[in-house]
Order: sequence, then C-alpha cells, then structure tokens
Amino acid sequence: MKVLGLNGSFRKNGNTEILLKRALMGAESEGAEVELLRLTDYKIQPCRGCGLCLFRENVCQVQDDDVSFIFSKVDGCDGMLLGAPCYFLELTAVVKQLIDRCWILGHKIGKIKKPATVIIPYATRGWTPYVSVQSNILLNVMGLTKINEITVCTQGISEVVLDDEAMDLAYRLGKEIAVAIRKKDFTYKGEAGICPSCRDWLLRILKDNETVECPTCGVRGKLSIIDGKISVQFEEKAWADSRFRPEAQYNHFTYHIAPSKDYFLRTKEERKIKTQKFKEYLTT
Amino acid sequence: MIKYFVKLRFYPGDPLEEIKEKDLKSFEKDYGVNISYERIENREMRDGLLMERTLDKRIEDVSQEIITLSSDKEDNFSNCIIALYKKYRCPRTPYSLMGSNDAGQKIAKRLMDAHGGW
Repeated sequence: MKVLGLNGSFRKNGNTEILLKRALMGAESEGAEVELLRLTDYKIQPCRGCGLCLFRENVCQVQDDDVSFIFSKVDGCDGMLLGAPCYFLELTAVVKQLIDRCWILGHKIGKIKKPATVIIPYATRGWTPYVSVQSNILLNVMGLTKINEITVCTQGISEVVLDDEAMDLAYRLGKEIAVAIRKKDFTYKGEAGICPSCRDWLLRILKDNETVECPTCGVRGKLSIIDGKISVQFEEKAWADSRFRPEAQYNHFTYHIAPSKDYFLRTKEERKIKTQKFKEYLTT
Repeated sequence: MIKYFVKLRFYPGDPLEEIKEKDLKSFEKDYGVNISYERIENREMRDGLLMERTLDKRIEDVSQEIITLSSDKEDNFSNCIIALYKKYRCPRTPYSLMGSNDAGQKIAKRLMDAHGGW
C-alpha cells in the first residue's frame, strides 16, 4: 500500500510540508509505504493548449519537464494526500499549473479508484473562499475520490508544530487514508459542506435568479430559508449532472472536445485569411 | 424564404431534461413557430458506458439531438428559444448552431449569453 504526499508549497519544512509529513507518519503507522513530492522541486511547464493530448490521445507536446514523472507517481500510489497553502483566497499557482496539464488524463476517466485527502494551511480566517475549488478540480481530473479535507489556521514558517490539535488531526487523516485503502471504503468523512458532490460551501446564483449551482461540479439546486437558515435542495438528478462523474467527463471529452477537430479543419482557410492581420500586428 | 432559422445541437448529457417530441409540439403551438426534431444515435454499450468514437467524425454525424426552429417573426422566434433554453438549457459547444442561417444564429447566440449561457 503506497500513500503519496503531494506538496503544493515552495517552502521546505513549512506548515504544509510539516502537516503532510505528520499525515504520512499516520499512514506509515498503518503499514503504508509513503513518499513525499514537493511540486516546486519539479519543472511543470504551462499547458500549451495545442490539443494534441485530446486529438492524438496520450501525446503531450511538452516533453522537457517533469509532469509525466509526477503523473507516474500518482499512478503508482494507492492513495494521495494533497497539501497546499492558501496565500490569496485560493491555492498556490503550482497546483493550477498542474491542473492545466491534466487534460491528458481525460483518457483514464472512470478507471482510477483511489482515495485522497486535502490539507490546506492558511493564515487569516475568512481569506479562504476558493481553496477547495482547485483541490477538488485536481482530484477530480486525476480521478481520485476525496475522503476528507481540512483547513488549518497557522501563519509563520513551521508555526503549525505549536498546534497540537492540528498535528494530531493530520496524523489521524494519514491513518484514515491508509485504512480507507485497506478497506476499499472511500466514503467521505469530512465536513458535509453544501455541494453533495465535492462538499464545498461555494454556491453560484444563476441568471434565472431561481437556481443555484456548485461552481465546481455544476450540480444545481434551489435555495430556501428554513427557520432562518439558508438551505439548498438538490434534486436526485442533480447528482447525475455533476460534471466530474465518469459519464459526464466522458461526454465532455467525446462530444464537446473531440468533434471540434472537424470544425477546426473546416474553418482552416477562413481562419488563415482572418488571422493574417493579427500575425502582422505587434510582432514580438 | 424563412427569415430566422436555427439548429440547436444537443450532445449526450447536454439537455437537463429529456427532449420529448410532444413537448416540442407544445412549444410550436405556444410560440407560433415551426419546430422539427431529429435524433442521431451512434453510441454503443462498452464496459458499462455508452461509448462512441467521435474524433474523426463530421459534427453532423456524431450522436446528438437537433431541434430545428424557424419563423418569420423575430419575437416568436426569440421567445421560443428562451423557453427552450429554460427547459433544456442551451447547447454547450461553439459549433452547436452549425447549419443555422445568419439571422437565426445571431439571435440564438445572443440569447445563450442572456438566458442559457451558464
């Protein structure tokens, strides 16, 4: 049983890394073989948007970096702990950079069954509204199932070691993921959240002013106030509309992306003529 | 010649509700427009999933449901499109209006942003 810690923080032995290491110790205590990767130690080039991974299946034009190595590590583990700090309302850029490179994983949709837990240290309470968005996207596009997520309020480098509760919690999360792997039970064990799919608390009000949606999953429901409390009713079929269900991801790749090749080829000549003036303008 | 003509191409998973011909007939009557419906089904069951290879197919040959709407009256045409978007949500892809005439496409596209672009 292998548990991989993926660290989205630049800092060596910073709060994220300490919490991840503490969780890995917990996993190790349950018999897991553990490994830690610090994403910023690796070269992760931006996605070039060439579409080759979509149109030629499993071909990525970016060869001079370490993304395929990182993916091989995720492939080789049985469960993952993702840690990343929140600096400005959301997770660090390296996480997003990796998300953009995950298009190539679209061909593996529905084939991976692994649990993952997310650990997010942050400094100021209330400055974390979007932290679950990137982690949920990354886990979903990698095909991993989130079984828990925590945020930990801590600020200066390595200060989290002063927080016994956070350290204990991280240890328990590490044990929990190892047990989940062993029992093949990927039931969500964290805070319920609002979205029945990703468990985030974010909601988007749609333009009809009647419907709310989880911006990450696309699951839709109706808002109401019951006894002064905000409540969201998600219909049974809302689950089926989650954009990260294997069927939905398959449909997205198969019907929204792949057929665009035909449109692209059909419009080749027209595009060539109309883009000429932009090629000649402000050349660098 | 019909002034406004649009093809709304819904791919598997796109419509939030099942598109039923009897509902389209009601739309046709309620809004005084012409509606036709075509379903193209090329999926096969494999590994428990309905699958299809679409990469090298013509857009028109991929599994889809096409609602074709036409009218000479802009208001009727627009209001019916709004109602269709409200029921099914709007088509999802940049090429989902292929086969429409310019006047129809402009309206359908503008209404996507206003009423169903989300």
